[in-house]
Amino acid sequence: MASTQLTDEELFSQLKCFGFTPGPVTESTRPVYLKKLKKFREEQQQQRGKGRGSSTTTSSSSSTGASRPVRHDVRRLSSGRRPGLKSSVLGFSSDESDAEAPLKRKGLDHNKRANRNPHLQQQLKIKATAPPNEANKKLYGVGTALKSNSFPSPGGQTSPSLGWETGKRSRHDPESRDEDGSDEELQNSHSVNGRSAARLNTSQLAGEYSDSDEEEVGAPGGPDRDRRSLELRRICTTGPFPSHLDGRGSWVGRKNCAYNPLGNRSMLGGREGPEERVKKSDLDASGGSQSHMVPRKSVYGSLGEDHQSKSGENNHVNSEEGPFRFGAGLRPRFPGSGSPAPASRGGYPNHSPVPNHLYGQKKKLAAPEDELLLQFKREGPASSGSFSAHYLSMFLLTAACLFFLLLGLVYIRMRGSGSTGVDGAIKSHPFGSHFDSLYDQAEKDAILKLLLSLHDHLAVVAGHHDCGDQQFPNRSLSRDKVTEYLLAQNGEFKDFIDVALEWIIRASQDVGIRLTGRVADDPVTDVSEISWLESTHPRMPLGCRFRRALLTVMSKVALVAVAVGFIWSVVCYVKYRWRREEEETRQMYDLVERIIDVLRTHSEACQENRDLEPYLPIPHVRDSLVEVQDRKKMKKIWDRAVHYISSDESRIRTETQQIKGADFKVWRWIQPPLICDKSKGWQGKAFPLNRRNSPPNSLTPCLKIRNMFDPDMEVGDNWDLAIQEAILEKCSDNDGIVHISVDKSSKEGCVYVKCLSAEHSGKAFKALHGSWFDGKLVTVKYLRLDRYHQRFPQAQGCSTPLRASSLHQNITNTSPFLLQQGPPNASGFS
Amino acid sequence: MSSTSQKHKEFVAEPMGEKPVMALAGIGEVLGRKLEENGFDKAYVVLGQYLVLKKDEELFKDWLKDTCGANAKQQRDCYGCLKEWCDAFL
Repeated sequence: MASTQLTDEELFSQLKCFGFTPGPVTESTRPVYLKKLKKFREEQQQQRGKGRGSSTTTSSSSSTGASRPVRHDVRRLSSGRRPGLKSSVLGFSSDESDAEAPLKRKGLDHNKRANRNPHLQQQLKIKATAPPNEANKKLYGVGTALKSNSFPSPGGQTSPSLGWETGKRSRHDPESRDEDGSDEELQNSHSVNGRSAARLNTSQLAGEYSDSDEEEVGAPGGPDRDRRSLELRRICTTGPFPSHLDGRGSWVGRKNCAYNPLGNRSMLGGREGPEERVKKSDLDASGGSQSHMVPRKSVYGSLGEDHQSKSGENNHVNSEEGPFRFGAGLRPRFPGSGSPAPASRGGYPNHSPVPNHLYGQKKKLAAPEDELLLQFKREGPASSGSFSAHYLSMFLLTAACLFFLLLGLVYIRMRGSGSTGVDGAIKSHPFGSHFDSLYDQAEKDAILKLLLSLHDHLAVVAGHHDCGDQQFPNRSLSRDKVTEYLLAQNGEFKDFIDVALEWIIRASQDVGIRLTGRVADDPVTDVSEISWLESTHPRMPLGCRFRRALLTVMSKVALVAVAVGFIWSVVCYVKYRWRREEEETRQMYDLVERIIDVLRTHSEACQENRDLEPYLPIPHVRDSLVEVQDRKKMKKIWDRAVHYISSDESRIRTETQQIKGADFKVWRWIQPPLICDKSKGWQGKAFPLNRRNSPPNSLTPCLKIRNMFDPDMEVGDNWDLAIQEAILEKCSDNDGIVHISVDKSSKEGCVYVKCLSAEHSGKAFKALHGSWFDGKLVTVKYLRLDRYHQRFPQAQGCSTPLRASSLHQNITNTSPFLLQQGPPNASGFS
Repeated sequence: MSSTSQKHKEFVAEPMGEKPVMALAGIGEVLGRKLEENGFDKAYVVLGQYLVLKKDEELFKDWLKDTCGANAKQQRDCYGCLKEWCDAFL
């Protein structure tokens, strides 16, 4: 159920099955809808759970890896159908993008696709039964069978288009296998290296950098295998995985030693990995292929998802190919690829962290969702418990409040009744024992009662007076009034009033009654002098007392609240001001950046258009950047921005110019533009070239250099010339380069170089392979001469070595002063 | 300042006519060139694609990403720009 075979209608109907009504499926919308379909499928599969067997899971992992490239391939292919663009170079045998273009031009042949489908299904089934190697081979064979012609020229109309479909699919296989292979590689470096070395020896003669060579080499497995291997390579051309392609070729060539049925599948992967290395014209050794992984990855990075899918596969595909590679595997992989894909698409190549990240991300995606679900489930039961808890807390709160209220009341009452303690202890008096002895009980009682009532009365009076009760204008009572009151209380008191008063005077301690004479504050020593009686312990009515208490408390609380409020408001204000500050600063920086952008673009425009002045008046810049209604608001920020630029921005100079007769403060952008916008350069070698990672001797005079640039990232008009320049510089000691062609449309950054002889190309290979250029690892492989000439017919006539400085020379035979055919020095390697 | 850029406002202010694809918000030089390479040389062609995708946000953004490698912000800007233009003129 690979989506590669879907016709537009099928895609449309499949999408509708998921309840989604797509718009028209055209060539530009197809990839998007394919992605959507895959997402639906993956969701569906997730819902169905792990319905498939364990075999599926293992195979699905590999399949998904395959599927991801499928998707990408499909998309790429579709998007590659650019109406306007036409790759000028025909598909070289290992060139995916070039081969794709003509293939796409042929259009999708649905019928053929349909034909392929059953065939492939068959193959799949066969694969299921056959041992892994066989199955894989068959798979490859399927694709290869389609491309029976040995060269992906546009002439082979049918086969490319046929092969395209299956090729895509099988591409993944080889791809994933590649990944596995490389994985295995890294793990079994020794065995691999040994093997690759052996392979190298055997393959050298094979000339395995071309399809037809593979055919010639012959496969032990028979013509089928040959074809398959051929096709493999063919197929690979359609995909952006030339290295795989190469692997295919070498894999075929390897048949002799490789086709030993290897028991475990990992071996298969490992076998393929090294095999692929020794591919047709790409005699990268094991180290080279290892390094290939890196550049491949970077290439993939630029390719986007492709890269991710592969790297993802790298991680958890352990060369587990199974019968369900395509179908089942499609879905599970997509979440992993889909979600991280967008993330890294825009980014530049991620190398090894990406696979882990991808995989981990995919796992993480599932985990948080589950956690969320769990959380939501837990929420249900928790809520009922919290309900009762809520009531409980409310109850406790009210209980506490009531308690404190009671406490307060009791306290108040206590205060109020503190002085009534005297009531109960009427027997105890402050008059000393002498008092007791003087009078008998009845008299004592009477006196005491009198005193008590007097005291109480006076207290009430004083209390009322204190409370502001108008009934008692005076706090103290005159003696007459006291006498009146006491007599009214009890007739017996009459006799004892004076006695009581005298005792009060004699009392050593305060009895709660203050006696004052006629003249205030005079100590009273005699009864006769007493004229005013006053209570020192005023007893206020409860309401008054309560009120006073409340007032006190309230005032205190209010004071505290006011203080707190004040502090809090101060804090808020400070925070607000600080936030405002920050906001303004941010706006200012934003404005500054925009000003810089404006000035920079203006200066760039000035570069091209000499009529413009290289400076801009400040008010004009302001008016163009700030909205009309915002100008007043932004004035302060604008001023700050201006100030900032004049003080902190070194690339802008503030000066005064005369514009149309008026003086203006202007800004001039003074950063000189980068003359060569590429800080390109050679940055050393990644690995030493030895027997293991490069062919022992150079094979052909033609080289294909990969990963020199990224076509998406190049800006400027003559960057290809700069690339050529760089290559020539790097091989400046080599006077044998006669033709260079930068394939501008190649996603891999390919540059084709032809040298005078094999020795020269060997030297160039040595110089270039494995070097870092502009942060990318450059790899080189050999190409067949006839292929090269087919692709670059103009190179056939080149025989004059190119020099770095004379890049713009026409590559013809008529460049006399360049004639330098130095004898080939040391041969390639060894 | 509003959250839409100057480009957005300019684009949405009038019928797009024959404006180049780089007049779209979020589409600068590099992306514009890529879109042009893919055949979307005018803004109305991108509009066409947007309409063909039935004005679906996710699909359009995916398509944009696939075609020219736009990042999330650029996708957002372009989608928003076209959406608003359609709301105003379509």
